[in-house]
Amino acid sequence: MPRPIRAYVHYVDLVNRKIGRFAMLLIFVLAAILLYSTLSRVAFGVPVNWVLEMSQFLLSAYYLLGGAYSLQLDSHVRMDLLYNRLSPQKRAVTDAITILFVIFFLVVLFRGGVSSTEYAITYNQKNYTSWAPPLWPIKIVMTFGIFMMLLQAISSFFKDVAMARGKPIT
Amino acid sequence: MSSELITLFMFATLMLLLLTGQRVFGVIGFVGSAAALLLWGQGSSELPFNAAFQVLNWYPLITVPFFIFMGYMLSESGIAGSLYRMFHVWFGPVRGGLALGTIGLMVVISAMNGLSVAGMAIGATVALPELLRRGYDKVMVTGVVQAGSSLGILIPPSVVLVLYAMIARQPVLQLWLAGIVPGLLMATVFCIYIYVRCRLQPELAPALPVEERRSISRREKLLLLRAGFLPLMVFGTMMGLFLTGVTSLVESSAVGALLATAAALFSRRLSWTVMEETTRKTLAISCMFLWIILAALCFGAVYDGLGAVRAIETLLLHTFELDPWGILILMLLSFVVMGMFLDDTAMLVIVAPLYIPLVRTLGFDLIWFGVLYTIACQIAYITPPFGYNLFLMRAMAPPEISLGDIYRSITPFVVLMVISLALIMVFPQIALWLPNLYSGR
Repeated sequence: MPRPIRAYVHYVDLVNRKIGRFAMLLIFVLAAILLYSTLSRVAFGVPVNWVLEMSQFLLSAYYLLGGAYSLQLDSHVRMDLLYNRLSPQKRAVTDAITILFVIFFLVVLFRGGVSSTEYAITYNQKNYTSWAPPLWPIKIVMTFGIFMMLLQAISSFFKDVAMARGKPIT
Repeated sequence: MSSELITLFMFATLMLLLLTGQRVFGVIGFVGSAAALLLWGQGSSELPFNAAFQVLNWYPLITVPFFIFMGYMLSESGIAGSLYRMFHVWFGPVRGGLALGTIGLMVVISAMNGLSVAGMAIGATVALPELLRRGYDKVMVTGVVQAGSSLGILIPPSVVLVLYAMIARQPVLQLWLAGIVPGLLMATVFCIYIYVRCRLQPELAPALPVEERRSISRREKLLLLRAGFLPLMVFGTMMGLFLTGVTSLVESSAVGALLATAAALFSRRLSWTVMEETTRKTLAISCMFLWIILAALCFGAVYDGLGAVRAIETLLLHTFELDPWGILILMLLSFVVMGMFLDDTAMLVIVAPLYIPLVRTLGFDLIWFGVLYTIACQIAYITPPFGYNLFLMRAMAPPEISLGDIYRSITPFVVLMVISLALIMVFPQIALWLPNLYSGR
């Protein structure tokens, strides 16, 4: 594989690993705010109005930012009835073709994210709740997560092509 | 093209692409978004992203990572290991006792775990090697682990029931309570089967040798009971807080994760490695699960737009002229059949919205249907070619267990599950007794 592609794969994997390791920790932040609001309500009788939405935002950030890393860890379920019987090289050939479908999906998802975020920024879209948070920050985070997932899928594509040609990128 | 034809075409493309072995979320998402663009053009380009926003708005989904975290904490910290030892020592003398103990183990693990993943991991890495070493029949014990771990989605806390609750707009608590008795019933049915089979074919399951049993003192046996105490306390506290209404569902799941960590700390098994493994695996499985839901929602939105709900209702009620029970059986059958080809989480998100309005029209109890649905899912989980448990089993099982063994092993258990399903269909009280008792009806 040409050098720029190898560099792309290297850096995308590196950056996504870092982002994923960060997203991994969001579960503790999520637990902390939920426990804080429970304690505040049960022990002191003070309900916390921002926790509900904040926890929803955090969950979305968690799985969308962690998505690329989970792709690296190869934790996504496949129907491997036939796939399992192929040699590693043939698997790479199939993957190199079929991952284009995944990339298509991610591109549509990303484009939707961009236009939805633009709308949220232009009209300062808010949730109709007592906390009424603006929606653009979370939309930016979500769209960014999807974008990194897209970059990771492209990196997987390069890796599959290299593998299919018998010269894997490590 | 009529909407039936489009739906059919979408499903056919889906099946075909899934067979290539590409990641399930990507295939479902691709078919969904491509169909939307083909049908409605540029106007629908935001449809997939809106599905992501729907995931955000499904508040109870926040329980997913926590219930997965609990299960992994249990397995990674080795609490599950001593739990296994407890069942091993206490059930050892009985013929087939270790297999019976494994079912017991799976029930306890199910009570701390929202999916069947952790149960599967513990079963395949802790219980299986030990059972094989003791000369148990490999086909039988593989089945025991698979069937046992599938109880994870029926016994609370259950993520599948949370997902069902969101789609059917039913209270999670009622559904969880409804899952308890059927879950225990199934565990009992499995145990009876194992016991009888081991009586008839003693060579399948040798009892623990006498010398080995003698070498374990009574004091040690009693000390081992402690291992079972911890998970039950975590489950009891979490469910207690939820049942009494002190904490909400989502809060309870966070409390559960905290308690599971505390339990690991208390038994001096919490290390950085355990924490790291648990957190990483939780992220990996949560991402897999939530990305599939995202893709499935996008797929579902397309034929929701096509009016497929109405189409199916007309087809079943007026074209086939089936009676309510006929439709119910057909629906459950279709779950099992579809579950063979489609990922089971995706199936839930895609198919349940089609069926639930129909179930309501027919006048069936939606809580009861939720339990039937979950058992059908369990069957789908372990039946080839596509079973979530099968997928995990292939990845985790010791090398001497071949794919053929895994496929063969499930047959008797599928039969037992179908029998349990039929029992609960005929006697809805098995599922509804506990929730009715709780709500004082």
